Amino acid sequence: MTASTLASPVQLNPYRPWPARITSIIDLTPQEKLFELRLIDDATRDAFDFEAGQFVELSLFGVGEAPISISSAPSKQGFIELCIRDSGDVTGAMHAKQCGDIVGLRGPFGRGFPFQEMKGHDVLLVAGGLGIAPLKSLINHIHDDRHEFGKVTILYGARTPSEILFRRQFEMWQHREDFDLMLTVDRPDETWEGEVGLVTKLFDKIDLDPDNTYGALCGPPVMYKYVIAEMRKKDLDVDKIYVSFERRMKCGIGKCGHCGVGHQYVCVDGPVFNYWEAMNLQEAI
Amino acid sequence: MFFKIIAKDEVPDLVRGIATEYEVIGPQAKGTAFVFAPLKDPADLRLDYDMTILPAKRYILPERETLMRFSVEDNEVVEAELDAPRRALFGLHPCDVNSLLLMDNVFLDGGDPDPYYKARRENTLIIGVSCMPAPTCFCDAWGTDETHRGFDIFLTDIGDSYYASISSVRGADLVDRFAKGRDITAEDTAAFQERSAAFKAAFEHEIDTSQLPVLLDAKYDSPIWQEFGEMCLACGACSTVCPTCYCFDVHDELDADQKHGERVRTWDSCQFKDFAGVAHGNFRDSRASRVRYRYYHKQWGYLSRYEKVLCVGCGRCTRACKADINPPRVVRALQTGVVDR
Ligand SMILES: Cc1cc2nc3c(=O)[nH]c(=O)nc-3n(C[C@H](O)[C@H](O)[C@H](O)COP(=O)(O)OP(=O)(O)OC[C@H]3O[C@@H](n4cnc5c(N)ncnc54)[C@H](O)[C@@H]3O)c2cc1C
Ligand code: SF4
Ligand code: SF4
Ligand code: FES
Repeated sequence: MTASTLASPVQLNPYRPWPARITSIIDLTPQEKLFELRLIDDATRDAFDFEAGQFVELSLFGVGEAPISISSAPSKQGFIELCIRDSGDVTGAMHAKQCGDIVGLRGPFGRGFPFQEMKGHDVLLVAGGLGIAPLKSLINHIHDDRHEFGKVTILYGARTPSEILFRRQFEMWQHREDFDLMLTVDRPDETWEGEVGLVTKLFDKIDLDPDNTYGALCGPPVMYKYVIAEMRKKDLDVDKIYVSFERRMKCGIGKCGHCGVGHQYVCVDGPVFNYWEAMNLQEAI
Repeated sequence: MFFKIIAKDEVPDLVRGIATEYEVIGPQAKGTAFVFAPLKDPADLRLDYDMTILPAKRYILPERETLMRFSVEDNEVVEAELDAPRRALFGLHPCDVNSLLLMDNVFLDGGDPDPYYKARRENTLIIGVSCMPAPTCFCDAWGTDETHRGFDIFLTDIGDSYYASISSVRGADLVDRFAKGRDITAEDTAAFQERSAAFKAAFEHEIDTSQLPVLLDAKYDSPIWQEFGEMCLACGACSTVCPTCYCFDVHDELDADQKHGERVRTWDSCQFKDFAGVAHGNFRDSRASRVRYRYYHKQWGYLSRYEKVLCVGCGRCTRACKADINPPRVVRALQTGVVDR
């Protein structure tokens, strides 16, 4: 009996992470850091095309992998940003990394927001907590092509003022004319002068053209039902609302089965779903 | 496809011949049951087996495999050879041949083929053999009682000989070299038809599989799931023995020096509590939700993508489940709204 072995599956191995260098680390809050990464291999970097809303698998050998949304816009070339909360093994180990360290990336995976389809329309973006991470990519992408969009409204809720991600930039944006941006916190501190309450409260303060508006939403699971109810009250079409989901993931490529939601897999059919599709997915919302 | 008649007493020579080039895995008796295992002696091959405890999936998707070796310090892959020996799975029933075709949809899928699975699949010769239904078999319910592709050679028992369907060059070559065989006659084909008809007639139960995707959605909140959930032990045996369950976990294991290690893939089961657990909770915390998910995915999730259910009716989970939860019973409960006793 002969047992022959094949050459190692290096090329075209979707499980093999590509090395990337950490080029910058910014502390956003006590639990979240923003990492800027640069894929080391030129060809891989050039081929790394993604849409806002897609994610990567961050790979730290010896610890494991975690799915993380890309926070930077596709229009930013050569680098990608990940906004990471220290919430477990991989994310914790990532928080211990230094600028210049090498980590691994696989992806980009999944379906993102329908950027092209949204062009020419108004958009309403609603984020809760860490849900701002994937929406930040979309916000920046819209920013870079601002003239292609109508009115842009951003509603963002965090638990406390110190947990607001990208706070400096957003506070500056609150005064911009071309972005209607509103922040709210559940629990204010003595420095906070803005809105207090859940993000749904902000819906009283906005005006939408229901026939011409796309909605997008990402946040903790409890938020979806309430925010969608508000969007529906404003007469937004169910099939013009997009939601992004988080599930447990191991492979990112529709094989390991962990991310099943209803009859679909979040890693390949999502993480961004049209709300009409999501309504038809058991256990989704 | 073309055909040959191979006398049963030629089979040991065929096995020996194939064994000069492939590691031959075949059904063998173990106690009162049957298992797939490496064949040491062609005489141990039991082509008359009813069903093995475990399917042959571990030879394509092993219960544990190294995806890559790595070095921790520079976060780099240390090249590792992929282990894909030339193997022959000798004696798969139609259900098991079909189960591999269902797995292929997932692992050879156009977008991101799985290189490990693919290499093993390509290096594995499949020799099927006809069977008669055991009481737990219900492949007829899904149409997986027949197979027309996915094998190199398929042997249909027509008495003293096998009616061999040959569908690959390597299969033809092996038959050519290691079995005398002879060409088929009209009588042989008539015997083949008779045998097929006898097989189909031998199924004892009928299962009403109509409209399952609709029923799974429309009866999503049915109390049957609560009932099955209370019965289920969350042991995962149903996934382990299932030739179509492919879910896996990936984790890193460090060497003693903590400097190197390997990324390992192991079988997993949606019946385990943590399967859908995330930082802020668990999407399938209850057993009821997990049992339901297994059927929901097999009879609707997979089907929504590939137009087929993810079950071949082999009945292995029926035999393995200590709680008596099995597809025929679940499907009946879905149809009638009550769990039969
Ligand atoms: C599409 C997608 C995009 C994401 N984007 C981001 C992002 O941009 N930023 C970000 O910070 N996070 C993001 N996440 C979440 C992140 O991937 C998870 O929090 C991930 O678990 C972190 O991995 P870890 O190894 O650090 O945590 P783990 O060590 O896996 O643990 C995370 C938490 O889950 C608990 N846990 C671990 N295993 C189980 C289990 N089996 N059952 C129940 N609980 C368990 C742990 O106790 C811990 O509290 C995203 C997730 C998805 C699916
Ligand atoms: S679900 Fe049960 S009967 Fe169906 S293929 Fe799996 S083990 Fe066999
Ligand atoms: S259905 Fe049966 S075999 Fe499967 S986990 Fe439950 S008790 Fe175990
Ligand atoms: S993460 Fe593996 S199937 Fe989606």
